[in-house]
Amino acid sequence: MFIAELLFYGLSLGAVYSLIAVGFALIFNILKFSNFAHGGFITVTAYVGYIAASIWQLPFWAALLVAIFFGGIIGVISEFIAFRRIRNTKGPIIYYFVSSITLGILLESLIRIFFGTTYYRYPYDFGGYLMNVFGNMMWISYLDVYMLLVSLITLAILLFILYKTKIGLAIRSLASDVDTAKLMGVDVTRIIQIVFFVAGVLAAVSGVFLAISYNLYPALGQIVVKGFIASVIGGLGSLGGAVIGALLLGFVEIFLLQTIGSGFSPIVIFIIMLVFLLFRPRGIAGVYVDTKA
Amino acid sequence: MIDFLLSRYFVSIITFTSVTVIAVIGIYILTGLTGLFSLGHGAFMAIGAYVAGVLMVNTNIPFFLAVIIALLVSLIAGAVIALPCIKLRRDYIALVTFGFGEAITAFLRQTATITGGASGLSGIPAKTTPVLAILSVIVIIIIARKFKFSRLGRQCLAIRNDELAAKSMGINVAKVKFKAFMFSSAVVAYAGILYAFYTRYVDPGMFGWTLSAEWLIMVFVGGVNSLTGAVLASVFLSGIPEALRFAAAWRVVLYSLLILMILNFRPKGIFGDKEFSFKHFGMIKKYFKGDEGNVN
Repeated sequence: MFIAELLFYGLSLGAVYSLIAVGFALIFNILKFSNFAHGGFITVTAYVGYIAASIWQLPFWAALLVAIFFGGIIGVISEFIAFRRIRNTKGPIIYYFVSSITLGILLESLIRIFFGTTYYRYPYDFGGYLMNVFGNMMWISYLDVYMLLVSLITLAILLFILYKTKIGLAIRSLASDVDTAKLMGVDVTRIIQIVFFVAGVLAAVSGVFLAISYNLYPALGQIVVKGFIASVIGGLGSLGGAVIGALLLGFVEIFLLQTIGSGFSPIVIFIIMLVFLLFRPRGIAGVYVDTKA
Repeated sequence: MIDFLLSRYFVSIITFTSVTVIAVIGIYILTGLTGLFSLGHGAFMAIGAYVAGVLMVNTNIPFFLAVIIALLVSLIAGAVIALPCIKLRRDYIALVTFGFGEAITAFLRQTATITGGASGLSGIPAKTTPVLAILSVIVIIIIARKFKFSRLGRQCLAIRNDELAAKSMGINVAKVKFKAFMFSSAVVAYAGILYAFYTRYVDPGMFGWTLSAEWLIMVFVGGVNSLTGAVLASVFLSGIPEALRFAAAWRVVLYSLLILMILNFRPKGIFGDKEFSFKHFGMIKKYFKGDEGNVN
């Protein structure tokens, strides 16, 4: 029973983390910087979903769609405000980096100003049911079922776009070489806008689910550190690695939750990440992204 | 006027600004000189504050010994963080320090019997006087300036500008980065010590990633290449709003907008490469005399 619970909850948590890690890895692949604004995207979209859910009183799926739409928009706007000019003037990577950190702080503090630091609860109760697993009773929460299904569907759609459509081809070509892709007639700005839109959408899906399971507060976006850790474990810049790393992280976290409690688990996970960096810095996927000086 | 200068309020502005200036110098060494980013230096401030604070609360060792122990602990922590990621892409340092900040906060919350947990550590004796704070700022500015113009500082700059070129000139990149990281963690930890012994109370929530990011922003406002810029920006950005009693949250919004503008329109920061030196007084004198004619 312990194993079944671990598998189920680990998988659903890992699936949400994988959305964060993939959103992060997408932008990393193309612009080659770690997008620290991703946490801000998560926070803002979670609040938008909350407004849709409790003020407009929309049903869950509608609220999720509102958040997703808004997430895409905020991704595109952020690209315009924070990164467009730097890209046009071919600024060094550190500017992207600082810009994304600043944007992350800006979004989080705007939320703090307009919503305060109080905790909010989404007005949904998903319930669940007791399932008989080989003679043991196990509580299956529907929220986690949804979390798992929606995350998997989102990832599947993303993979379809990346590998079966022309836009996906353009995105992948940008990931390997922006200038060459441009010479081949790819509209770089448009594709980067699309990538930011997708990142915003991924942030929205993870944001809404995380806010429902952990409550809503301005620092929710810091959960993005899980996405970072997942991509370090999986291999920075590799989408497949990000997913594997995130799923592993989900299992480890649920396991730690059931053994040593939630308090110490960030410390243990951090140590795991350090060990990974010491002994396998390329991550599981083994894509080694070295600094090109 | 005299009343105001002696008032608690003014003293608190002076002390908090000094703490920020010291921390920003620490970040300047790491980011401005070496080109590495840390989003977890708030954790080193926490280490400085908590180690010295806990020692002073629970034992009766002298203050300077507590300071030295706290600095040593921060150096050890710095080494543990820096060793795995110093040889990797620069992004790793930002990611790992970000995780480190979270881990330290969690650790402080969990060790309630020693550190007071989430409700914070109180009863720290007041040891930081405004004089000590200002003296510390001056000494650290002098040290940082010496560092910038030393051989090691030059190597840091070379690494920041072009790591490959630095490597081919025979600079041991990992070693220099490691030293810069250690130096900056000790400086930031010292800021934490000053802070704890002034407020006499610390709690884990104070040292989150936004704190580290605020320092980073200050370095960038002043200009990554200029120590003078970093110092002035931190005085201006932390001292002025403190004096005008801005709401803290709006202050951060203003900073962020400011830095986005600067990155987009004046990416070298307000001070660019310029550094304060006493030569400038000569220039000003000449300007007012006007005997040089139309000198630019």
